Amino acid sequence: MATETGIGASVKRKEDARFITGAGRYTDDVGQHGQTYAVFARSPYARARLNGLDTSAALATDGVVAVFTGADLQASEVGDLPCGWMVKSKDGSDMVQPPHPPLAVSSVNYVGEPYAVVIGETLDAAKNGAEALDPDFEELEAVVDLATAAGADQIHESVPNNQCYDWELGDKAATDAAFAQAHHVASIDIVNNRLIPNAIEPRAALGEYDEASGTYTLHTTSQNPHLERLVLAAFVNIAPEARLRVISPDVGGGFGSKIFVYAEETAVIWAAGQLRRPVKWRAERSESFLADAHGRDHVTHAELAVAQDGRFLGLRVQNKANMGAYLSTFASSVPTYLYGTLMAGQYKTPAIYVEVQSLFTNTAPVDAYRGAGRPEATYIVERLVETAAREMGIDPAELRRRNFIQPADFPYETPVALTYDTGDYEASLNRALDHADYAGFQARREASEQAGKKRGIGFSCYIEACGLAPSQVAISLGAGVGLFEVGEVRVDVTGSVTVVTGSHSHGQSHETTFAQIISDKLGVPFENVTVLHGDTGRSDYALGTYGSRSLAVGGSAIIKATDKIIAKGKKIAAHMLEANEDQVEFEDGSFNVADSNQSLTFGEVAFSAYVPANYPLEDLEPGLSEKAFYDPPNFTYPAGAHICEVEVDPDTGVVTIEKFVAVDDFGHVINPMIVEGQVHGGLAQGIGQALLEHGVYDDTGQLLSGSYMDYTMPRADDLPSFTVDTTVTPCTHNPLGVKGCGEAGAIGSTAAVMNAVTDALGVKDVPMPATSETVWRALRNGGNG
Amino acid sequence: MEIKVKVNGTAHSLDVPDNTLLVDVLRERLGLTGTHVGCDTSQCGACVVHLDGTAVKSCTVLAGQADGAEVTTIEGIGRPDDLHPMQAAFRENHALQCGFCTPGMIMSAIDMVQKSDGRLDEAAVRDGLEGNLCRCTGYHNIVKAVLAAQDRM
Amino acid sequence: MEQSGEYRIAGSRERVWEALNDPAVLERCIDGCRSMTPVGDDRFEAVVAARVGPVKATFTAAIKLRDVDPPERYRLEVQVKGGVAGFAKGTAAVELAEVAADETLLTYQIAGGIGGKLAQIGSRLVDSAARKMTASFFERFAVDFAA
Repeated sequence: MATETGIGASVKRKEDARFITGAGRYTDDVGQHGQTYAVFARSPYARARLNGLDTSAALATDGVVAVFTGADLQASEVGDLPCGWMVKSKDGSDMVQPPHPPLAVSSVNYVGEPYAVVIGETLDAAKNGAEALDPDFEELEAVVDLATAAGADQIHESVPNNQCYDWELGDKAATDAAFAQAHHVASIDIVNNRLIPNAIEPRAALGEYDEASGTYTLHTTSQNPHLERLVLAAFVNIAPEARLRVISPDVGGGFGSKIFVYAEETAVIWAAGQLRRPVKWRAERSESFLADAHGRDHVTHAELAVAQDGRFLGLRVQNKANMGAYLSTFASSVPTYLYGTLMAGQYKTPAIYVEVQSLFTNTAPVDAYRGAGRPEATYIVERLVETAAREMGIDPAELRRRNFIQPADFPYETPVALTYDTGDYEASLNRALDHADYAGFQARREASEQAGKKRGIGFSCYIEACGLAPSQVAISLGAGVGLFEVGEVRVDVTGSVTVVTGSHSHGQSHETTFAQIISDKLGVPFENVTVLHGDTGRSDYALGTYGSRSLAVGGSAIIKATDKIIAKGKKIAAHMLEANEDQVEFEDGSFNVADSNQSLTFGEVAFSAYVPANYPLEDLEPGLSEKAFYDPPNFTYPAGAHICEVEVDPDTGVVTIEKFVAVDDFGHVINPMIVEGQVHGGLAQGIGQALLEHGVYDDTGQLLSGSYMDYTMPRADDLPSFTVDTTVTPCTHNPLGVKGCGEAGAIGSTAAVMNAVTDALGVKDVPMPATSETVWRALRNGGNG
Repeated sequence: MEIKVKVNGTAHSLDVPDNTLLVDVLRERLGLTGTHVGCDTSQCGACVVHLDGTAVKSCTVLAGQADGAEVTTIEGIGRPDDLHPMQAAFRENHALQCGFCTPGMIMSAIDMVQKSDGRLDEAAVRDGLEGNLCRCTGYHNIVKAVLAAQDRM
Repeated sequence: MEQSGEYRIAGSRERVWEALNDPAVLERCIDGCRSMTPVGDDRFEAVVAARVGPVKATFTAAIKLRDVDPPERYRLEVQVKGGVAGFAKGTAAVELAEVAADETLLTYQIAGGIGGKLAQIGSRLVDSAARKMTASFFERFAVDFAA
């Protein structure tokens, strides 16, 4: 049903009414009578033994209610924070997972690691108490450099060589054989810079314990409250799930960093139980920099074997991935199953071999950040392809074309374990080339040169895998959770509809998009559909929001539930209209009997389900509320072509993005306005990685980029307006034919920018971020900043 | 200390500790939680309100500095059924996603338009939004919204 | 963070040495020093109010004298715990050379580092702050000594 509010329409968002008037309700906006305030004491050392901790002065501080240390949590049998994906090394052995107590007990391993929490009647009291703590640290040599971490001091007693795992994927012998046949081998040594996620809402938590029911309630900034509850129940031992409710109200951006279960909310909910009082915590930005899980941070050597005619023969990747000091919730999966599996890109490279060594360092834990593994993979593949094109004198667009998997090849099985269902890569590239006016580039470059500037153009034809699936395969590969999603469609007595989804929305606009789907499918006015999410008290066990899965997985669950509603509605209508069920059709919000003028509106059928006067009660339960779990049979594979054109001022090294074109294939699009917005945001983060952002530790493990003075967030005047377009090949295996759009911008753009910058400078590589200083130096040194 | 401050048209007389920040008065004392704290260091702009008609970052303004002043917050510029043109433009142009930076962004944008002499172009809007961070939108639609709103203000 | 320098001081090496070991002199000459208390033969505890960029705090410094070779040289090891502001640590190697009967050449080499919030917020500023503090110390010391 094509309407102004149905599938395919750029409907204005339901969410906006509250956000533009200041009526949004974020965790820090929630307060409870009698609440106390938590302040965490954090290690100033990257690595130290904690030989003692004198809490007496802190406890004696005015207004301090309690001080809890790592030892207190341990004594209370609070469990360690787990990692949810067991990756195995080449030799079949399990990854090595060091203990990760929520509060450090006898050693600290990164600057910012919490070792105590002080609870005060006021925030000031708690801060004064934290100031009065007297820890006895014995500083040790910190391991900071990823490249040399394996041979450095051993950080954790249980982790030899600081190695978490040494993983491989692909056929090594076949790949070596392919290289033996190569006409040309392009190789790169690349650092994928560490990023700090920086959702603008800092993490926060409010823990409560209800004495009467023995129930805990945790308000927190989580992308997946059910996962939070599962970990707190099953691993941390707070309470069984039935007595633990986790609510994620409005959440101010996540980008992956709010997937994970952190020390702070763990300590807060536990402390609320100890004190029988609400405990509130909100991170200051400096804490977010230190203790939110960071992203990326790889050091990689990669090679591409190419035949004389430009065909890719083989790809070899050796990667070191930084895990930080401990394994965050999904850290182990990011540089493996979300990275190695993407190395085929959009190309028919027949032989691929990927090795990944994951290492611990005395830095903040590293985990999924927008794109999670896929930006890192795309960066390798697309920088290599561009390098090969330049070295072989083949136009970079043409070299890609010669190697694209063709529409007729789908389903296409890659040499790195994935089966792509559909795509048309050339269509996206051609559309992008038109938007970018590639034909006119040479003239623009000459004009720049005449003006004393350097102009470059860069491509990135990325693929990603969204809606991580299916559960059984992932679990066989080490996943500790299922990968389905739940959706519930409750038709109210008077025909309005309440949708409960397991997919949490923190900017993604589910309240609008999912309402469009329901409105479209059931013919109910858009205004009459309300979408609820983010509360374990409202929905069944759900997996939440990550990996651009909400529509492809969460939306499919809702479609399944809607199908059940329609099937039941048909039974009710058949009874009411005295027709056979198979004669009843549902269309445009009406149940019609075929070849007759008899029909009932959806509202009439719904009313009958709840006021069952004329209703087949002997055969059918009353009510019209259905639930479905959807486990996807495969990933979805969004793909696209990004083209970036830059101009560089050789005197200052300043890079200006003159044009950025993104043409993406997300399958069917429910709300183009929202999808474009998702792409814009992703592009800003991808461009931010390329040109601005860098998480930097000094050689003693102190975080130097620990505030907005030193960590360069993209601001409005750093970015251009974007040219965004889509092509469509519908996903073949979910009911909406959708693929996911949340991360694409961040996955494709970084390589496009760096290919453009290196093209402008005429150098092979410039380290990211390509700041003006780096570029200026590169111009003088012929590369390598 | 005792301060008298008019917030969104309502006069308040408040006794606050000397080191109280304006943002804490708004959020904790007056329950106006639309003004957000994103960075504590006046870098992100989520806390922008108008102090006597000028945009300020309320996380680095002491409550005492607002004594005798008029403060306008996001809650004070329009209602859902009677939106300020900037609020309406943000909605129409999809200039917000998670909504956390939005109140500060809108308050800054209003101030920018009000203080501009003549029509702002894209570069001027981008320059004017330099003190407000958004991690969701890439600013593309925010810039569009501000450009659209200025014609209606 | 590393820095070094030298000062010529009008006075005999022995007198300069004595002054450099006198907690009262040190207290007067260290900018922001609230107290300098000897704790044992070769240790002092100092309370200093200092500012690095936007971080302003009162620090307690534990100072140890090492490799003491009067009146020629010693090494000061300084450990500063700033509570939630972080920490600072450093060593200052000080040497006195007799230039003339009443003129002494003082040379110093300082190496140090900071951690925690001090480093997070103030790392770009700490070098200049340390330089300023060092310069201020020796200026005051020269004046104090002449007085």
